[in-house]
Amino acid sequence: MTVKANNENQQFQESASTEIWNETPSDKNPYIAKQCYLHGYDIMELTKSRSFIDVLFLLFQSELPSPDQARILETLMVACINPGPRHPATRAAMNAGVSKANHEHILPIGLMTLGGAYNGASEVELAIDFLTKNNQKKPNKLGTELLKDKKKLQGDWHIAPGFGSYYGDINLMANELVVVLMQLPGTGPHLKWGASFVSSISEHANLGWLHTGVVAAVLADLGFGAREAAGLFQLISAPGILAHGLEQNHKPIYAMPLLEDKDYVVQARK
Amino acid sequence: MSFKQENNYSDTFFWDQRRNKIVSSIGGWQGGKDVVSYGYSLMNELLGKKSYMQMIVLNITGRLIEENLAKWFEGNFIGMSYPDSRIWCNQVGALCGSSRTTVVTATVAGILAADSRAYGGSQTSLLGMTFIQSALKEFKKHASIEKIISRTKFKNEKPVIVGYARPVAKDDERIKPHENMTKKLGFNVGEHLSLAYAISDYLEQKYALKMNIGGYTSAFLSDQNFTPEEVYQIKALVVSSGVTACYIESKNSPPDSFLPLRCNDVLYTGKAQRSLPKTD
Repeated sequence: MTVKANNENQQFQESASTEIWNETPSDKNPYIAKQCYLHGYDIMELTKSRSFIDVLFLLFQSELPSPDQARILETLMVACINPGPRHPATRAAMNAGVSKANHEHILPIGLMTLGGAYNGASEVELAIDFLTKNNQKKPNKLGTELLKDKKKLQGDWHIAPGFGSYYGDINLMANELVVVLMQLPGTGPHLKWGASFVSSISEHANLGWLHTGVVAAVLADLGFGAREAAGLFQLISAPGILAHGLEQNHKPIYAMPLLEDKDYVVQARK
Repeated sequence: MSFKQENNYSDTFFWDQRRNKIVSSIGGWQGGKDVVSYGYSLMNELLGKKSYMQMIVLNITGRLIEENLAKWFEGNFIGMSYPDSRIWCNQVGALCGSSRTTVVTATVAGILAADSRAYGGSQTSLLGMTFIQSALKEFKKHASIEKIISRTKFKNEKPVIVGYARPVAKDDERIKPHENMTKKLGFNVGEHLSLAYAISDYLEQKYALKMNIGGYTSAFLSDQNFTPEEVYQIKALVVSSGVTACYIESKNSPPDSFLPLRCNDVLYTGKAQRSLPKTD
């Protein structure tokens, strides 16, 4: 029995449902699957002829990608496989690793840190919203409008989700990735619009693509939704985060800095 | 207007200042001597003299609150500690137990699950307090309750306001004990709570909706001069005890025995079985 929901028009369902995965039970044990189908395709058949990228795309989109779509997604995933040891998410995993957290905790710790609204998964979600809301507008005009909103900020300025400065400058790697992606057949309208937007804002300030914006634009072009994109950003960044965390885990606890008292300044107040 | 650098080198002064250095306005450890939080000595002024709830609020807000308010928070945390593994966050804890994760994994996963706009007491406090504080500002500018409600989001012709409709049951068994606790600890009904009652009456008459515990606590804590963000931070752990309880029960049962599912217990509504297209 399930509980009746608060609204008289709604009721909690008797069972969960999915359009993604179908399991055929074994004849002698209803808890054991003898065949599994992903959006209608036998998973064992997929193992024989399809790449991980193809199946990942299928998982979220219910259809296999075209060769162009698969190439674009693979390019993005290779480029974003490692946020690098200076990204806060990787550093969180490295800190957990070096301080001997359980090994299975290292990746979730990094991915939770990667969930943030600043260079993280939440920003990817917001960037898709920004791109889909504005991609019918003229990028030059919008860029000029947003540049007027520059406030006196300490640190970086994200003029819009997925776009801004990185340590006061243009993020060269993110912008180089866009150059690579734009050369691929099948590049979509969100990436092209974003490139025009970046041209307009970078003329006036040290602003450009951020990795979150590139991931958002590519995933939007491939048909992924904003919620899916947030999680996929975590997924595609996971290998690097895990590798760096485990690398430190193999080292002694003093292999990373712990600041001395002289470098930890408390501004006392009461 | 140009923000572009005039020379060949970028200005990285902001970041250079912060390399290999932490400046804290909250406090820190003074190796071998003491620990300070907002100017209070952890070892001499807090430990053994103040409650853990006072410490939590101090670390988050810088305010060393009175004992009665700390007791109120503690009561509120008790009221959110349901050891019932049907509740979403607790079910996460139970599934962790069934999978034999560590207790910390289970508790963190459960808290994370309850970081939700729909339930859980932490993020819902952020939303509920934002509503009641904004509503009071409007009310003081002579907006009627009807007008205030009309400006909120509607779904199925009913207003959707965090704090004024509980997801599962209409009557919230937590409100009365909270009201009793509030009175017993010497608090009066403040202007936010007074407005919350009036809104609840209006919603009940017009939409058959009532204030739930989220609405009550949001209004009470607004009257105690907390910001929505502060209460979100204070109540980050509010469901943790219930999650841990459900983890333990499940961990002490045979593995993978928590609500087992047969293949057909998950209803498949997707595409029919199909053959893979041929590739070159």
